Amino acid sequence: MQASSIQLELLVPEYLEKDKLVHSQVWNTRLHFRIGERIQIVAPSGSGKTSLVHMIYGLRKDFSGAVLCDGKPLKSFNPQELASWRKNRISVVFQDLRLFPDQTAERNIEVKRLLQPYHNVSKVTEMAKRLGVYEKLRQTAQTCSYGEQQRIAIIRALQQPFDFLLLDEPFSHLDDRNAERALSLIEEECTARGAAILMIDLQEVPFFKAERTLHL
Amino acid sequence: MTPNYSTISPFLISTKSKWSRTLGYIGLCLGVVLLLCSVQMFMNVQQFISGKEIKKSGYDFVSVSKLITDQNMGKDNRFNAAEIQEIQSQPFITDAAPLISNEFRAQISAGNIIPFSTDLFLEAIQDDFIDSVPPSFQWRPGELHVPVILSADYLEMYNIFAPSQDLPQLSESSIGKVQLQLDCSGMNGSGRYSAGIVGLSSRISTILVPKSFLEWANQTYGGKKTEHAARVYIKTENISNPELVQFLQTKGYFVNKERTRSARIKVILQSFVSGLGIFSVIVILLSMMLFAFYLQLMIARSKDNLKLLQTLGYSPTWLSHMMSKRWIPVYAIIIVVACMITIALQYAFSLAFSYKESLSPFIAWPVVGVAAFLLIICIWFNSRLISRELNRL
Repeated sequence: MQASSIQLELLVPEYLEKDKLVHSQVWNTRLHFRIGERIQIVAPSGSGKTSLVHMIYGLRKDFSGAVLCDGKPLKSFNPQELASWRKNRISVVFQDLRLFPDQTAERNIEVKRLLQPYHNVSKVTEMAKRLGVYEKLRQTAQTCSYGEQQRIAIIRALQQPFDFLLLDEPFSHLDDRNAERALSLIEEECTARGAAILMIDLQEVPFFKAERTLHL
Repeated sequence: MTPNYSTISPFLISTKSKWSRTLGYIGLCLGVVLLLCSVQMFMNVQQFISGKEIKKSGYDFVSVSKLITDQNMGKDNRFNAAEIQEIQSQPFITDAAPLISNEFRAQISAGNIIPFSTDLFLEAIQDDFIDSVPPSFQWRPGELHVPVILSADYLEMYNIFAPSQDLPQLSESSIGKVQLQLDCSGMNGSGRYSAGIVGLSSRISTILVPKSFLEWANQTYGGKKTEHAARVYIKTENISNPELVQFLQTKGYFVNKERTRSARIKVILQSFVSGLGIFSVIVILLSMMLFAFYLQLMIARSKDNLKLLQTLGYSPTWLSHMMSKRWIPVYAIIIVVACMITIALQYAFSLAFSYKESLSPFIAWPVVGVAAFLLIICIWFNSRLISRELNRL
């Protein structure tokens, strides 16, 4: 069986201006991400960070080139295969978090955990306590602050098995102390799974020890 | 623990007003009751009218004779071979057969057991026009026993008249045990035969003997070859066919009106029940549309949540399966309730008509079949609709 990997083959978003391709280390290149790696992709606003996350996660198809998952183009996945990819192989913390605003934080986490349980409920409680949002579990997501929502989204992303974890500006609303705590939890969880981290942010995250840093 | 419907139910936003859903339930139940009742009534009508034994293998059998008027009185008003041929050749008549009668004197007596003796007429027709032909209803020259099929109406008349004449009443089963004596006499001699009633006919109002016997006896005692018939029986798919009615009127032929009337009543009743069936199908379709609107509204209102569930890794097939499964008990309950109402109505109907007909108090199997078919259709429709709406997201 082929080792779990994600390859970007000459990936170019349809909307991207040509001049942005010239100095990019990601667009229109060949990249290979393997399990266990720590990769950081940095770029200023408007250069397609979120688009890249969406392309790798299979939410967007408006690009040329290919995203290959274990050698198979993601674009060719049928809805069933795509669901399986998201359930078992890849997890994500979206920049816009994508929580159910009118549901409690607990239910937001639980709906992901039940899909393919990796941890039990007590682990969720432990993670919430560790990130300082335990008191918020019974509150609806919309009544939590953005920083709290960000931590809930991180906990939700860690409830399933995965080989790759996509982080799209995951600490944008966290202070350094909370960001460090969150990253420490993420590192632990990814190490336990042998999973890769693709950290995508505006600038290098100081306490993230990346093996490769790429400029978008 | 694996995800199930309760995992996703908080993310499905139903309409605030439950009226459309409740109205859908009631409408569907009403439509199914109407459809099941119309199927049941169709079968009841079939049983009511066919109980009179007009139809055999889907055909009407009726007796046709010439209308006796002041003008033709005294003439030979029997059918000749050419007229019979003409009747047979009509496209709306499947077959026709003459009912030949005796051309000699026939007397019947019941011996010493029932002191009863009378002159009578005998008739014969080809076997496939008789509603039930027992194997013993045959005769070959030389045999001294003649089997007889008696009109069921005659037995009824006899039982009415018997007590006043100190004669015993007879049941359908006991009449076969009565030993009769048949005396035939004519210009060419006479003969005595034993006779026994081997069956009753609800269709042909006469005393039937095997055709082979009557043809032989007409030749032997009457000295005539059987060529004419006073009555002709016709076999047709629809006795109410306007072309047939027109043909009979033009020719001045007379038909048993009671039978054509009952056939007409049957057509009217069946048309009414069919109309009711079509109406009920429309009600069911409207209810299904109401359900469809309800589901579409629910999916539209939950669109963002359903999209996010798919983003998290829930497959559209699984979501569709879970949402469809949720409706199976609802449809099953509606159809079971409709079946129970139909059973109750059929029971009441059978009690109301129990004095007249032996109608089954239970619903017929085809009704159960229709209910099962409707259940499958509802589940399939629901599943297709949800799956289509989710794939559109």
